[in-house]
Amino acid sequence: MHAEPGKIHGTADDEVIVAARNLSKTYRDFWGRSKKVALKPLDLEIRRGEIFGLLGPNGSGKTTTMKLLLGLIFPTSGEALVFGKDATDVSKNERIGYLPEETYLYKFLDAEETLDFYGRLFDMPPEERTRRAEALIAMVGLARDKKRQLKEYSKGMTRRIGIAQALINDPELVLLDEPTSGLDPIGTREMKDLIIDLKKRGKTVIMSSHLLADVEDVCDRIAVLHQGELKELGRVEDLLRVTDVTQIRARGLPPAAVAELRTVLEKHGGAEIEIGNPTTTLEELFLEVVRDTEARPGRRARPTERNA
Amino acid sequence: MVLEEEIPKFTAWIGPAFVTWLFTAALVAVLASALAWLVQSLAYGPLAAGDRVYRGVLTTLADLAGMSPRRIWALARLAIQESLRRNVLVVLGLFAVIVLFAGWFLDPTSVNPGKLYLGFILSATNLLVCLVVLVLSVFSLPADIKAKAIQTVTTKPVRTGEIVLGRMLGFGLVGTALLALMGTVGWAFVVRSVRHDHELVAADMLELKADDGSTSGYEGRTSLARGHRHRVEAGIDGVGRTDTVQGHRHTVRAVDGAGGRTWEVGPPEGLLEARKPLRGTLRFLDRQGKPSTKGISVGAEWSYRQYIEGGSLAAAIWTFDGVGEREFAAGLPLEMIVRVFRTYKGEIEKGIAGSVRVRNPATGLQSDPIYFTAKEFTIDSLLIPRQVGVTTTDGGTRQVDLFRDIVADGRVEVVLQCLEPAQYYGVAQADFYLRRGSGSFAFNYLKSCLGIWFSMLIVTALGVMFSTFLAGPVALLAALSVVLVGQFREFIQRLFESQVTGDSKLVPGGGPIESLYRIVTQTSITLELDPSPAVNAMKALDTVLLAPMRLGAALFPSLSALGTGDFLAGGFDIPFDLLGAHAVETFGYLVAFFLVGAVCLRSREVAA
Ligand SMILES: Nc1ncnc2c1ncn2[C@@H]1O[C@H](COP(=O)(O)OP(=O)(O)O)[C@@H](O)[C@H]1O
Ligand SMILES: [Mg+2]
Repeated sequence: MHAEPGKIHGTADDEVIVAARNLSKTYRDFWGRSKKVALKPLDLEIRRGEIFGLLGPNGSGKTTTMKLLLGLIFPTSGEALVFGKDATDVSKNERIGYLPEETYLYKFLDAEETLDFYGRLFDMPPEERTRRAEALIAMVGLARDKKRQLKEYSKGMTRRIGIAQALINDPELVLLDEPTSGLDPIGTREMKDLIIDLKKRGKTVIMSSHLLADVEDVCDRIAVLHQGELKELGRVEDLLRVTDVTQIRARGLPPAAVAELRTVLEKHGGAEIEIGNPTTTLEELFLEVVRDTEARPGRRARPTERNA
Repeated sequence: MVLEEEIPKFTAWIGPAFVTWLFTAALVAVLASALAWLVQSLAYGPLAAGDRVYRGVLTTLADLAGMSPRRIWALARLAIQESLRRNVLVVLGLFAVIVLFAGWFLDPTSVNPGKLYLGFILSATNLLVCLVVLVLSVFSLPADIKAKAIQTVTTKPVRTGEIVLGRMLGFGLVGTALLALMGTVGWAFVVRSVRHDHELVAADMLELKADDGSTSGYEGRTSLARGHRHRVEAGIDGVGRTDTVQGHRHTVRAVDGAGGRTWEVGPPEGLLEARKPLRGTLRFLDRQGKPSTKGISVGAEWSYRQYIEGGSLAAAIWTFDGVGEREFAAGLPLEMIVRVFRTYKGEIEKGIAGSVRVRNPATGLQSDPIYFTAKEFTIDSLLIPRQVGVTTTDGGTRQVDLFRDIVADGRVEVVLQCLEPAQYYGVAQADFYLRRGSGSFAFNYLKSCLGIWFSMLIVTALGVMFSTFLAGPVALLAALSVVLVGQFREFIQRLFESQVTGDSKLVPGGGPIESLYRIVTQTSITLELDPSPAVNAMKALDTVLLAPMRLGAALFPSLSALGTGDFLAGGFDIPFDLLGAHAVETFGYLVAFFLVGAVCLRSREVAA
């Protein structure tokens, strides 16, 4: 709310790529009656080169947020800006890649045809298109199955061709909705490596997940959504730093020294002393948010709490 | 062939047609915006709604401006792939079955087999092709939306217009390919079906003796082929031709070889033709010889054809314009389809005698009558020679030149009279013409296929348009309704007029509810209902129901009006003026359907 609306620029490094201003969405039925408040007014800024995670349980509004940013659905209030343009402006899609939460592709096409089709929607020469399609198919490990129609693909294979499709235009901004869903542990690892690799190549990534481990491993910053509300927003380390707990860590201390430390800490009023216990886990943070919502409904992360 | 209205010159038609199109398009656009504003007002209040509609219009325009042929082609390719993977080619098998079936049950001995086969094949092709593209186009986009594949497409730099146009193009191409294949097969089938050979052996031909005992010619009958034979007459030189049976005849030639004389019968002529007529305008003289705008109506017959009484001064007069000496150097080849209405039977086989004269419209100079007999169901042809006789004031005759004395500034009148008292000739303006020659039948067939192509494109566009805002089955029904309303648009217009003016003679029986009431109570449609409040309410409701249909009748395309199968099957060249008008009309509809589809899809949250 502090940022001036419509004014998005900066130095190359912290250039704002995506901004949501007071963005909200209420789904309506055919008659215009409101069915579901899926996203309450949201303010967000995502900068070039970061991996931004949307975290939240099922139905918390992650997909809705992504669709708003993509211009797939229209906001009930507020605005979403991508590359400084309104999200409903189609031309921004030249620089965007999107993996929907389930891979919505044409089942009657095979992998090659799929990439060829999506490639044709971008302005690139045919040789370039074929080259990229081949490289992507190899990258996601579908080279042997590239001539099979997608209707024969397993969930994991579909996910892989989905990610290949999202990268066909070598996008600057990649939105991945639950990228690891449906993948086995190895596939999940590969997907995370891929996301980190994208960051190395200077891409901006927005991903959503309800799997904490995914987000924790790869994201620079996260937003925690619950029931359509932004609950937490910040750098992963910051969110996980438990400020009222001091951590002491040392190598090679004899047990006597540990006991001595304990008495010192006790003398200063330290309670519940545990030694050898590092930061909290994201999982705990997550459960904390849920508990907190139940105890104090309506509390939201203020933009001032933003810690970027 | 029935030609109810004259075909307007393309150059004269295009201007007003374009203005009408623009006006209608603008009106629809304004009404649609107003409606959108109303609907949005309910949700967001009038001001915000106005802003939304304004921005919607702007983004739609920007969208349309940003369309790229490359992406349209990519989406069209997808539509083609989809059709192929959905096994659309199965329909070719179905067509093959229909053709086989046709060969089996169509009667080759009918009065005009060429017409029968052509009509059947073209209708089957038309129906199949249109049905296929309709089903393809109507279900494709809703399936995408339902399976959410559309989300992956719309997050690429794809404009909504491209999604709509790409589908129209893709399914249009599929339809074109199907039409090309079916058209070729149909062509081969028709040509093969009507081709036949007769044999004529020397023993079949009798020598005709003149009074002095010398041979004056030959006469005989051909062998039976495809259920018919011909009578043959040949001159002393051994060259002659057969009579016309089943809409065709053959030329016959004697060949004298070592083994004696044999006769050769040529291929059928007149079966698959593309006559080019020069048509005139028709007026009448009544039985006293006074000018009248109408002939006599003989009751049940349709008013398209009017009747002149035999043995009286009644006459039908055609005025032909643009009759050039170069084109008709050998005289005026008249062709006429004259219906005969008999008040007594007479000799059915013989035909009814009539006469034709030519008259100078400027000086009134008129030739002596040239006699002929009109036979039913055939095209009678009559050559008015270059030199015609006129009766001079002293009762003698002199020969005058057609172009020097009769044709004035390219205009000439032809006067038709029926000679037998109490018999009638039925004539129609279009059924009496000067034969300008023939176009190529193959080319005419192609032109007729072009008519089917127009229908197919319209159906495709219509299906895609409805699929942008309706679910598949509903879109199918909507498209079919539009086609039906378009098909019966004249009837609906008349029905509405009769409903509003209360003139039940225009269309007896009333609107849908009244008709239902009459069916249930078994009331004759000619019987006026007593005007009780209930009846009045029923009629009022009918009017309300008919109003949107009347609007639709004014807007929707009539596919049968785009068809030119009548021309082809009737053996007439399809005029370019007509084809041009149809092409432009089709284009107008395609543009309109595309715009409506693009706007509807754009304003929809397809990914919700
Ligand atoms: N098209 C829709 N119509 C009505 N409600 C919807 C629609 N899409 C999502 N919702 C609702 O909005 C809420 C947020 O959904 P979503 O953004 O998909 O959550 P997430 O992706 O975090 O699981 C859910 O309660 C869901 O039921
Ligand atoms: Mg989701």
